[in-house]
Amino acid sequence: MMENGKIVTIPAVATIDEIKDEIPNVRTYYLSFDDKAIDGAFTFRSGQFIMLTVFGEGECAISLPPSPEKDRFHITVRSVGKVTRALGGLSAGDKVGVRGPFGNGFPFDEIKGKNVVFVAGGIGLIPLRSSIVHVLQHRKDFGRVILLSGSRTPSDIMYKYNMKEWQENCEAFYTVDNPTPDWTGETGFVHTLIEKAKVPVENTVAFVCGPPVMFNTVNQELMKRGLSDEFIISTLERHMKCGVGKCQHCAVGRTLVCTDGPVYTYRQIKILGEQI
Amino acid sequence: MSYKPGVCTFCGTGCAHLLKTDNGSVDGVFPVQNHPVSRGRLCVRGWNIHELLNTPERITTPLVKKDGALVPASYDEAIGVLVKGLADRKANAAEEIAVLASPRSSNEENYLLTRLARSVWGTNNITLDSDSGHRNSLDVLAAGTGMAGMTGSLEELRSCEYVLVAGIDITKQNPIIGSEIHYAVRSGATLVTVDSRKTQIARLSTSFLQARPGSNKIVYAAMAKILIEENLVDFDFLKKHNDGFEGFANSLGALRDEDISAKTGVSMDAIRAAARGLAAAKSAMVFFSSGISGLDADTISYIYNLFLIAGKVGRPGCGVNPIAGINNLQGGYDMGVAPDLLSGFRPITDAKAASAVSAAWGAPISAKPGRGVHELLESGASKLTALIVVDHDEGIVRHAERIKTIPFVAYIGAYKNPFMEYATVVLPIATYIEDDCTFTNTERRVQLSKKKADAPSGVLPGWKLLSAIAEKSGSKWSYASSAAVMDEIAKITPTYAGISHAKLEGTFGMQWPCDAKNPKGTARLSIEASKTFTFAPVSGSFEVPKPTGDFPSLLMIGKAQHFWHQNNIMRKTSIPLREYNTTLLLYPDGYVDITADEAKAAGVRDGWPVNVVSAKGSMRVQARVTDEVGPGAAYVPYFIQEMISEFLLENVDILKLGEDATIPVRIEKV
Amino acid sequence: MYLIKKSDVLRLAEELGKTHDLYGPFMEPATKQAMFERVGKAADIDLAAPIPALPPKHALLPHYEKILAYSYDKKTQKVDLAPIYDDRPKALFGVRPCDLTGILCLDRFFLGQEFLDEVYKYHRKNLFIVSQTCVAPFKQCFCVCCDGGPAASEGYDLNLTDLGDTYLVEAGSEKGKKLAEAMGLAAADAKHQAEKTRRIDKCITLFDSVATDNKAWISRVMNRVTTGFIDEAVWEYIGNQCFECGACSFVCPTCSCFNIVDLPRKNGGAHESDRVRTWDSCSYEGYTREAGGHNPRKPVEDRRNKRFFCKLSYSQSKKYLRPGCVGCGRCQWVCPGDIGLPNVVTYIRREIHS
Repeated sequence: MMENGKIVTIPAVATIDEIKDEIPNVRTYYLSFDDKAIDGAFTFRSGQFIMLTVFGEGECAISLPPSPEKDRFHITVRSVGKVTRALGGLSAGDKVGVRGPFGNGFPFDEIKGKNVVFVAGGIGLIPLRSSIVHVLQHRKDFGRVILLSGSRTPSDIMYKYNMKEWQENCEAFYTVDNPTPDWTGETGFVHTLIEKAKVPVENTVAFVCGPPVMFNTVNQELMKRGLSDEFIISTLERHMKCGVGKCQHCAVGRTLVCTDGPVYTYRQIKILGEQI
Repeated sequence: MSYKPGVCTFCGTGCAHLLKTDNGSVDGVFPVQNHPVSRGRLCVRGWNIHELLNTPERITTPLVKKDGALVPASYDEAIGVLVKGLADRKANAAEEIAVLASPRSSNEENYLLTRLARSVWGTNNITLDSDSGHRNSLDVLAAGTGMAGMTGSLEELRSCEYVLVAGIDITKQNPIIGSEIHYAVRSGATLVTVDSRKTQIARLSTSFLQARPGSNKIVYAAMAKILIEENLVDFDFLKKHNDGFEGFANSLGALRDEDISAKTGVSMDAIRAAARGLAAAKSAMVFFSSGISGLDADTISYIYNLFLIAGKVGRPGCGVNPIAGINNLQGGYDMGVAPDLLSGFRPITDAKAASAVSAAWGAPISAKPGRGVHELLESGASKLTALIVVDHDEGIVRHAERIKTIPFVAYIGAYKNPFMEYATVVLPIATYIEDDCTFTNTERRVQLSKKKADAPSGVLPGWKLLSAIAEKSGSKWSYASSAAVMDEIAKITPTYAGISHAKLEGTFGMQWPCDAKNPKGTARLSIEASKTFTFAPVSGSFEVPKPTGDFPSLLMIGKAQHFWHQNNIMRKTSIPLREYNTTLLLYPDGYVDITADEAKAAGVRDGWPVNVVSAKGSMRVQARVTDEVGPGAAYVPYFIQEMISEFLLENVDILKLGEDATIPVRIEKV
Repeated sequence: MYLIKKSDVLRLAEELGKTHDLYGPFMEPATKQAMFERVGKAADIDLAAPIPALPPKHALLPHYEKILAYSYDKKTQKVDLAPIYDDRPKALFGVRPCDLTGILCLDRFFLGQEFLDEVYKYHRKNLFIVSQTCVAPFKQCFCVCCDGGPAASEGYDLNLTDLGDTYLVEAGSEKGKKLAEAMGLAAADAKHQAEKTRRIDKCITLFDSVATDNKAWISRVMNRVTTGFIDEAVWEYIGNQCFECGACSFVCPTCSCFNIVDLPRKNGGAHESDRVRTWDSCSYEGYTREAGGHNPRKPVEDRRNKRFFCKLSYSQSKKYLRPGCVGCGRCQWVCPGDIGLPNVVTYIRREIHS
């Protein structure tokens, strides 16, 4: 049942139509809702997330990588906890439960006409994918579009099959920490690409997602170039149980990541007064 | 009114709780304000005990191994398999049959298990599944004071003036006792902690003496030496209680002042202040770990003797207090679960006691002490062919390979666990909330826990199952209830003589000795009511483990709160399990605690993989950089099941030394 | 406003018991502990029992509750989902004002934010609350420091005040009024109202001599807690004493954090599971740990800090429309570390002064 376009309390049953291996331990699951009415009505904004039930195991928060428009509905998940490991054991045709979409989403209306910089560390590209595709779908609404992606090794690059397309449609740079002999791209941590890509700071907004250390380093680098912390945007990850602002596991400072976030500006994050 | 009172059965503190039991489901727990020990508090385990009691992982039917797989069977069939398996071996029972009892079982269950073992199966090979620490404590205290249990009373702790915490991580192991110590300090008591690790209680102490690993004994000996040298011993007290004093005092001569700081790493000033504080206080208690990571007998003897010369035994607010980590460890020994004991901690060689027991049981028992089950499992020469295990949850993993070779293994328990897989026959029993039963906490408090829920359909309470086994073996027992079992315990056990379920009902328990002279029990060992106390013999040896050039760090092995007893119980909960996983997930390969300096020297950071290398082998774990260990020391929590590696098994002889065991190692970057 | 003779007051409970599951205070016989729980019959209720050890929160937010039963058979790919909502009519009889305040906080939190909590909504749906004015404080009470008592001003269906031989009965809702009318209660007048006021005033004066365990000048520290300008050393001092047991959250009338786990159904079939919701506590280390292992709030002092931010900051007060502490004193009583809220407030004040 949907309330205000959301599945709030009881998970809606969805079928895994197809599973695609991404990088090691990470897979993409294409889903469709069994209830056709929900399948038609389910819409979301880039940056939002769902609560995914693996039956018999439990529920966890999962970000949404598809573009809100003209994209096949899917999730990309790394097997890491009890629930996601169990998800990794499912096959096409199996059922899962979905609640959501929850969270605030990225502020696209406010950034029209600006340069957009995406900076992703490792699987931080998963929550950013939705916005990247969305921005490229509306390419003419934005100024320069730059994608900076850092991974540990070439085989850890997320959505490698999109690399060519993205490199053609925007300024996409890829770097790895530990190159293999056949790697021809950049080497080093992702923040080093900021200089290489000559990232602008005027009329610019940056989306940054990745592990805490990378996040802090990239933000320092961007701010050093003069980008204000209110134009650095990220999504926070937290342990979540309900997704609707009640269980309080995801409380950060005075906010709840599930309802006030997961999208925050770096300025907001700084005043939350907690570790990232 | 669905909250019904009972006793928490996680640790030896014996906190009271109210369990919300509706329709067989346990839907909540709440502490009891008026309980003299727990006073309205529970720890993280106690607050989530309903998660364990609600676990779907119960054994709900007897199982018998057929063609290599366990298949459901009736009790009749399964008991038949057990009885036959043991009857076949009866002729040589003292060699072939061994019983591994549980320190979690109730008094009634453990008592009947000893009756089965000794009078029906004909073996004295019965051991509590717990290492030697508590037995060491009881031996020292029984020989010295006549009381085989903690001499102090937890109720008196808040008014105690001086508390010595001797190497026990008490806020993690027995949190509510830790809380009582904290409250004593908040009301003005002096708290001295002697430990090689900076535990939470160390942080809360007035004075923390961080001794080098393996040198804690020297600190206690040094305190005694200072009291004697400075004429601070309690001369009045020693007028009466002086048997062995001279020998003890002489033994301290081997401890040279200049060696004390060098060996322990603690300044003489700090030790002197601690000793003077002990002498000046009107009342003092010492707490040390028992059971798993307990102390060796020699260290316990030094601690006990120190308290004797200070006159802090048998007086109000005083106590030498071994702390049991498991709920009924004390009760297990009280019931005579040991190869050489009868109930009431009486030697099986005591002819008078043995004949009374034998008369009550209507069967002869062998006066020849049996052998410890761990010893039988470790010895390649043992002829063991049948092993009965009750409610296993620890330790035994070490012997897994050996157990697989034993032809007949029976498992009796309420919850599923990996040990079941080794069993020829599995017999389920009810949990403690599904029948009336008693448990004895670490301060000798016998508490009644009333039935609050029905067992899964057809599952028998322990006493009924054991009676049925006896009956099928040809011994008709006639207990009408578990209360009747306690009546028999009282009849043949002097310390329990005045205890019955009827008297315990509606109380928060009675502390033994409870007899005609002490009808309400005995909160504390009393100097007035006791014969003279005697000093414990000591080794006079003050050797400390020495790191070498190749292995410059001393590795300690211990436990931590949530990874408690290898988690067979914790694994059946959600929140305590999550807490356990929290640490484990940060260090999925297990961890070794090292100082920041040590980490720097090894070129590693927190979470990085390291090799811990000893003369016998090495293990790969992650570094956990902390100020909890001192320089030259390292610490591994041995109770994470995933961490019981070959490395620790190879050093099992060292682990037997308990809390002070150390292994010289070096930490290498991987 | 109505009157009922003291000896008749449980008739109200009896009447409610006909149509509701009846909850009330009583002395648990074996432990001599005041509890607030479901009773077998109205006569079991003891309105004179001291402040119950257990707040009535569990009637709306149970310690352990199944909220969804489901089965999933992979062979047939059949999924069945059956939410479990508990809308049994429940009457809470003799609720202390602090605990009623707690329920109002829970209401605002669970029903007043962006999303409604369905499970709570059903628990709350058919609830009848009879509160009682405290005419004397207990040792642990400090409701006067944080506007949690000693008298309720809103949120009840009926409120009782002990006037000696009679109880003053005030209706706070239509259904409360209906019950009072149906019971044919005598009308009260202004002098009874004045007597109530006199008794409340008397109660407040008694705090000095009776409620000696705890004081918590929360208004003094709220600004400090909100801005976060509290010396790290203070939180460390507090954190060192935290035993991480979770008790403070469990006994708090306003704490509402919960955990959710899916468990195989006890005695159920192979494909059957229950989604279980249980009390949780921000003092637990695993509370914030993410599946990947990262824990943004690992040190115990950070977790303590968070709890008191939740109780005492202005931003959290916006959710409750009042501070998160009602002054019942239970957290101080259950805390193994002696860092219940009143002591924490004392330590923060000490820091302000230094």
